[in-house]
Amino acid sequence: MAEESVLRDDFLRQLISVGEVDILVGLATHNNAKTVGPVVKAIQAGILTYFPRERAAIINADGGSRDGTPDLVTRVSIDDARPAGNLRTLRTLHSISTHYGNGPSGSALRTILAAAELLRAKACAVISPESVNIEPDWISRLLRPIYNENFDLVLPLYRRHKFEGLLMRNVIYPMTRSLYGCRIREPYATEFGFSGRLGSDFVNRDIWSHEMARSGPELPLTVAAMTGGYRLYQSFLGTKAPMDRGSNDLVPALRHTVGALFWSLQPNFAVWSASPNSQPVPTVGPESEVALEPVRVNRKRLRDAFLTGVAELDPVFRSILSPSTLAELQQIAGRSEDDFRYPAELWVKTVYEFAVSYHKSVMSRDHIIQALAPLYRGRMFSFLAENRNGSAEDIEHNIETLCGEFERLRPYLLKMWNGGE
Amino acid sequence: MTLNNDVLWYKDAVIYQVHVRSFYDKNGDGVGDFQGLAEKLDYLQDLGINAIWLMPFFPSPLRDDGYDIADYRSVHPAYGTLEDFQAFLAAAHERDIRVIIEMVLNHTSDQHPWFQESRSSPDNPRRDWYVWGATDTGYKGTRIIFVDTEMSNWAWDPVSKSYYWHRFFSHQPDLNYDNPSVREEMWNVMKFWLEMGVDGFRLDAVPYLVEREGTSCENLPETHAILKELRSKLDEQFPGRMLLAEANQWPADLRPYFGDGDEFHMAFHFPLMPRMFMGLKLEDRKPITEILQQTPEIPAGCQWCMFLRNHDELTLEMVTDAERDYMYDMYAEEKSMRLNVGIRRRLAPLLDNDRRRIELMNGMLMSLPGTPIIYYGDEIGMGDNIDLGDRNGVRTPMQWTGGWNGGFSAAEPEKLSLPLILHPVYGYPAVNVLAQKRSEHSLLSWMQHIVSVRRSTPVFGSGTIEFLYPANHRILAYVRQLGKETILVVNNLSGAAQAVELDLRQYKGNILIEMSGRNIFPRVGDLPYLLTMGPYQFYWFRLRRI
Amino acid sequence: MRDMIVSELTQAMQELARGFAHFLPRLIVMLIIAFVGWVIAYILKVVLRAILRLAQFDKLSESAGAAHLLTQAALPSSTELLSRFGFWVAWLGFLLLGVSVLGIAGLQEHISNFFLFLPRLFVALVIVFFGLLAASFFSRAALLAAVNANLPSPRLLSLSIRTIIIVFVLSMVFEELGVGEQTMLVTFGTAFGAVMLGFAIAFGLGGQRLAQRFLERRFLPGTKEEKEDELPPL
Repeated sequence: MAEESVLRDDFLRQLISVGEVDILVGLATHNNAKTVGPVVKAIQAGILTYFPRERAAIINADGGSRDGTPDLVTRVSIDDARPAGNLRTLRTLHSISTHYGNGPSGSALRTILAAAELLRAKACAVISPESVNIEPDWISRLLRPIYNENFDLVLPLYRRHKFEGLLMRNVIYPMTRSLYGCRIREPYATEFGFSGRLGSDFVNRDIWSHEMARSGPELPLTVAAMTGGYRLYQSFLGTKAPMDRGSNDLVPALRHTVGALFWSLQPNFAVWSASPNSQPVPTVGPESEVALEPVRVNRKRLRDAFLTGVAELDPVFRSILSPSTLAELQQIAGRSEDDFRYPAELWVKTVYEFAVSYHKSVMSRDHIIQALAPLYRGRMFSFLAENRNGSAEDIEHNIETLCGEFERLRPYLLKMWNGGE
Repeated sequence: MTLNNDVLWYKDAVIYQVHVRSFYDKNGDGVGDFQGLAEKLDYLQDLGINAIWLMPFFPSPLRDDGYDIADYRSVHPAYGTLEDFQAFLAAAHERDIRVIIEMVLNHTSDQHPWFQESRSSPDNPRRDWYVWGATDTGYKGTRIIFVDTEMSNWAWDPVSKSYYWHRFFSHQPDLNYDNPSVREEMWNVMKFWLEMGVDGFRLDAVPYLVEREGTSCENLPETHAILKELRSKLDEQFPGRMLLAEANQWPADLRPYFGDGDEFHMAFHFPLMPRMFMGLKLEDRKPITEILQQTPEIPAGCQWCMFLRNHDELTLEMVTDAERDYMYDMYAEEKSMRLNVGIRRRLAPLLDNDRRRIELMNGMLMSLPGTPIIYYGDEIGMGDNIDLGDRNGVRTPMQWTGGWNGGFSAAEPEKLSLPLILHPVYGYPAVNVLAQKRSEHSLLSWMQHIVSVRRSTPVFGSGTIEFLYPANHRILAYVRQLGKETILVVNNLSGAAQAVELDLRQYKGNILIEMSGRNIFPRVGDLPYLLTMGPYQFYWFRLRRI
Repeated sequence: MRDMIVSELTQAMQELARGFAHFLPRLIVMLIIAFVGWVIAYILKVVLRAILRLAQFDKLSESAGAAHLLTQAALPSSTELLSRFGFWVAWLGFLLLGVSVLGIAGLQEHISNFFLFLPRLFVALVIVFFGLLAASFFSRAALLAAVNANLPSPRLLSLSIRTIIIVFVLSMVFEELGVGEQTMLVTFGTAFGAVMLGFAIAFGLGGQRLAQRFLERRFLPGTKEEKEDELPPL
């Protein structure tokens, strides 16, 4: 297949003008005019405060905004043709924008990665245009470990509510940890920093023709760092901004995280089948700070979704799950609301069997991911019930137990993976 | 005298700054002298310069390298006699080279007879020639310039049991310009030299002439009034002579020293110089364009004086704290390279002896608006000796040959006023005039070439400047224009090759002729003009419509 | 009389023998054709299989969901299936060619008809194959979407979609084969109309609220939704 060019000609000309940089901050936007202003201001302040001497650029990959988002981003440029009032800076700061086309959102990251490679950026960060509570020191927290200490990937830690980010805590964190041996709390992040080395390795991988990498390459990037012998780091950033609902809908979220994780298993078989022991990652700040104030959750709907799923998706589950697992699911579906528990072991088996079915393509892979949604909701219901009055330590303990289960059942995954079924 | 009658000669001049003591020792006593300087005039003529700025050569205890003058009407015996000076002056004029000398108005040496008289008794008629105080509390708002050596601007005089005012070293008491007889006497001193034929004065430390309570004692209106008075006398009696201000100030504060064209002819552009070094290190034109954007227009007969390095430290007073820290970290890693608020190093070591960067910096010096000054030795890439105290490290003897004392003096090496550089890279065996004269590709030959190109047109000296702002910020590009002549200058501040697109639409139809090699470049069309530049490369293009 | 019978018999025998002698070479030729055809078809099969393997056809059909369909129907892999199909079509063609050599009257016409019919048959088979694939894929997609969107009766929806697609596919197939075109058209029309009517009634009665909710969500962005159960998963 002929290599399509990721970079448009006009963007390339802008890149030529930017030239080599030390620091690059990428921003993938699409109609974010409401929030992007303060975010780029904070990025600019962060660069000027923490990297005043370094050559820096802000790269905006825009998906065709119609609300003037790119203008807001490019406006924070500092150069001599447009003197920036009272801002006294040592050097020019470029903020440039390109339209990455009509491709999926992963193309934005690809554009940023390609720009970073062309500009030979030493340390890069990606910031979500919706992170309205960004502080300038995020730039330092994400980039310093890379720029000064030669780390390759800096992932964030957030202060979160105890019932937020449950997909991360129930699947992504424990599964990446047990399979790839890195205790990274947020393997899928909207803010992260990466080294030029890692970025250019990743952008040149032969993965971009795959739908998975094109729609959600963030997790594959993390996995690439975990499996490629790169140095990882976690930086505490503070409270996570509430994300735009669209990106937080369950099924797209599953696609970008669980789907990407499942997808990564095949190329990295050699790594996870070798049973690595998980290692802690250098971290600054608290590893898991949780807020405990009560939230109103309609748990009944979670359970209903699970029950409907188990009843209606039976033919689908028959192809995906093993008969014993399916039988157990049907059994817990029959319990009353108070007795309902989705135990950790069953949950891990469910996830692993889904992963194997995904690997074997027993049906359209997207359907497999979609089929996980009702089961995840069931697990949520159970998790909320178990931790309703739990303290931060209790939750941490439960997650640790779940991680143990994921690790313990890894041979089970391996057996099914190799099984000829 | 063969000098032309151009009263604006300083606008098109290329000035060579030289220290008599360190240039050439004719009589073999270890100290450079006027006879030696006169002998080397041919060398300077070859270099292409047409003005010499001499550092102080007056009798002096030499505690501040001659800026502490003990007699304004004579020559320091080590440098020769007044006759030697006159002979040198005549020889220079024969070669169409003008001579600018130092005039230290603000202060004298404490060894000067005036001060000796003044301190002798409160009733002495010269008592009022200096600024005396019963306490050391006056003029509180005044900053201390030599922060490394001086604690106060007042010094205790044990003889007259009172305090005297000094802005520089404590052995340099400030003259009292509120006293009309001081003003009269200083004009007489200047007249003395003007009548002898000198072409201009560099007036040292001009912002500090007058003191007023409750002010910073700098740039006061009274000071300007005194300077204007000097200028009007000069114009009246000696037309065509020039006054150059040394005032280390921001451009906006410097502007009043030009008055309405009735104060100074020229003034040093101090803030630009560190920013040229900064722009080069940052590989970003922003510091340079910014300071030039902030530089006000000056009256028609006036001119900026530009320099890369001089006899003082590379001053960092006119930069922000962040910029100063950056400059220190980039150009003066070792603490011993720093002095006061600056860096005491020469051009070549500052630029890591990188020929391309030295050429680029000189190219910018010669093409930005103003009259360039070449500091002696920088045309061959001399080094410095930071082990010598104060600023002596950049005032070591000129390196003429690879032989005895670098060809500077026949004296025993121990007798030299300052030791020669012996560094393996910068020492006189490696860096000297003789060797460079013999090579077409030496820095000296290149300097001769660039000076001749610069002097081939008046555009650089008198033309207007308009910056182009190509998107590539590593490229500093500007258009100089005078009458019908237009010159495009493009500098690559980066150590890597660059592509740049210049918006030259207003010059559509012109052909570009590179001024150094006289080659023709493509005609300017509607599209952005694309140039590729090698590392630290620069072009001067003459625009011609044919 | 007897002589006559004998001579007639002899003559008949002779004719039979002549006829047989006349027929035998053709039979031999036919057998040869059949054998050569078998060899060619076998080679064709091997080549086809190799090409398909090279083109990773299995993977292709896997991602299309066809592999699963075949597994369910206890059929061999799609590569195997296609190459076997190629083999049989080729050999059958040769066999019929051989039969035509026999010169049996009337058979010729049928055989040539068969050859004319063959491409249509092939197209029909392809339509059935992809039709079944599509039916399975879309019905499952609808099922999952309905479950995840909490729509009522997901299975009914899924089944309806599958039925419609299959009916549609069958009608295409029969049209392609030219069998009972009119009948099929009418049958399809009736079936499709019935299903649509069913939908219309079902949605009209049961989907009123659903439609209302949908419209509100679409056009009244200010409307607060009950979203508490959607804890941000990430």
